[in-house]
Amino acid sequence: MPFHAAPQPVTRLIEELSRLPGIGPKTASRLTYHLLRAADEQALGLADALRQLRERTQFCRVCFNITEGQPCAVCSDPGREQALICVVESPLDVLAVEKTRAYSGQYHVLHGAISPIEGVGPDDLKIDRLLDRVRSGGVQEVILATNPTLEGEATAMYLQKQLAGFPVLVSRLARGLPVGGDLEYADEVTLARALEGRSQM
Amino acid sequence: MRRGAICVLLSRAAAAMHLAQLTLTNFRNYTRLDLALPKGPTLLFGANAQGKTTLLEAIYYLATTKSPHARADRQLLNWYANGSEDPVAVGRLTAQVRLAGETGQRHLEIRLIRDQTGRAGSEFRRQVLVNGVKVRLVDLLGNLNVVLFLPQDVGLVSAPPAERRRYLDITLCQVDTRYCRTLSQYNKVLAQRNALLRSLQEGRARPAELSPWDEKLAELGASLVLRRAALIADLEQRAGRIHFDDLTGGTESLRLAYRPRLWPNADQAPSSLPPAATADTVGWLLEQPENQLAASLRRALDGSRQVETQRGATLIGPHRDDLRLLVNGRDLADYGSRGQQRTALLALKLAEVAWMEGQTGERPVLLLDEVLAELDQTRRAYLLSSVVAAEQAILTASDPTMFTGEFLAQATRMEVKGGQIRPRNGPVQRGTRDEEEV
Repeated sequence: MPFHAAPQPVTRLIEELSRLPGIGPKTASRLTYHLLRAADEQALGLADALRQLRERTQFCRVCFNITEGQPCAVCSDPGREQALICVVESPLDVLAVEKTRAYSGQYHVLHGAISPIEGVGPDDLKIDRLLDRVRSGGVQEVILATNPTLEGEATAMYLQKQLAGFPVLVSRLARGLPVGGDLEYADEVTLARALEGRSQM
Repeated sequence: MRRGAICVLLSRAAAAMHLAQLTLTNFRNYTRLDLALPKGPTLLFGANAQGKTTLLEAIYYLATTKSPHARADRQLLNWYANGSEDPVAVGRLTAQVRLAGETGQRHLEIRLIRDQTGRAGSEFRRQVLVNGVKVRLVDLLGNLNVVLFLPQDVGLVSAPPAERRRYLDITLCQVDTRYCRTLSQYNKVLAQRNALLRSLQEGRARPAELSPWDEKLAELGASLVLRRAALIADLEQRAGRIHFDDLTGGTESLRLAYRPRLWPNADQAPSSLPPAATADTVGWLLEQPENQLAASLRRALDGSRQVETQRGATLIGPHRDDLRLLVNGRDLADYGSRGQQRTALLALKLAEVAWMEGQTGERPVLLLDEVLAELDQTRRAYLLSSVVAAEQAILTASDPTMFTGEFLAQATRMEVKGGQIRPRNGPVQRGTRDEEEV
């Protein structure tokens, strides 16, 4: 039986889309055929958005967050506290902390966590630039907000050692129970950590 | 060990537990099996290669999520199902565990899935369900407690140390999920640290990068060592008594010597440790606060950094522990006869049964695979008395005549033939046992 494949531009887009995280070949095909039928402005708008994403964004030269201008909106905001730096693994973590509206200090994005198995060492992260920032003065507290994973913990411990020589307060995000959660459904490790980190009322 | 008082109370109340129903689908040579199991002893008999051992293996797998033979999980899937053209092959094990009181029931299920639809080619995965809800693998542990007796257990005495560590780990994991988590974290830290040591060896990293991993390794390692020490202390006491009083007529004394790898080599052991490390390492360890033990492990890691970098591997820590069995002060692996090794292992296994009951408040289900054939009359009789005393025991034998008539009268007998099981002679005279429950 003769087998007719889809035209090359179609298969190419399917391939490109299925490389994205969370998208399998089925979804990629569905998206591709949706875009084929969609109005020009929608499909080309997507292409344009992709192009702009690459062309108009860069890392902030101070905190290494994703930004359009230099330095980024946070770093150039005079209303934010200058003496406080929150260290996170990824730009998504900045968004998460910003959403809380409970933090008005600076950020520093490491772009990863230490993981020797994957060949990621301190030199592959923006650690030296963080130390530069602390060295240049004006910083009173560094909040280590890396993930509570093994790699995130190791990164925090490494940073703590590196920052020990500076006259800054180094703190770590508290670990404990999610708000609105039921005590009985918390896993033992979380609950044990919450007990250890209990605070006086 | 660190369970809250409430947990202990709850499990005390549920002291009687037994496996009431077992179903297997595409598990090794069973394409389909639905088997009701009574309390008390059940004897499975039949010729070799009919599926007796597989049945015990299935129960053990449901209790521990591990196969007793350390073989690859995908081999557990039925051969035909595994080799079939179907893109997805599923094996399923379920157990209905009945607790004392009419309401208490747990439904355990493990699914073995070989999936060829993914992009990565053939993929094998497992799903675990407790009472119909998908849970993590570790959450299955503790729902059904078993102790398995295998004829090849005796090999544990002279096997490489890794086998004895595996024995300690599986035993502890069944009753202590915290140990299980700590162990899995420890193994991850170890893998990261070893990768880093290799980078250091090749000059691609700085020594300062070791410190967070050292800290974690020491912290988790100390916790593992202390839990192993507590287990060994308890097992030694119980096994020693059984071995001396009941199995050797007061002639031989069994000791368990824990050899934790907390320092680079024996002559660098802390001076506070008794000289013959065999004597009382465990007692010494159990007096150490966990954070102090972690600190000394940390110092030992610092001290052996150079050697470890050269070798590109972590040489200190519980992943290098050993456990030796001594009879009258002599190492059984080197000096013990096969018979002595067998007796010591029997004592150890029976101690494990008592330990598990002490830890969980539930009597474990005993699984015995052809173990009677290897024992002499006295030890056979002693083992059978423990079997009869258990809430539930499942035994296999190719030759049922080696059992006493008295035992056979109490046991439910079933014949295993070609992956099928048929009751033979039904339950006999079990009324007295059931009345005891009331």
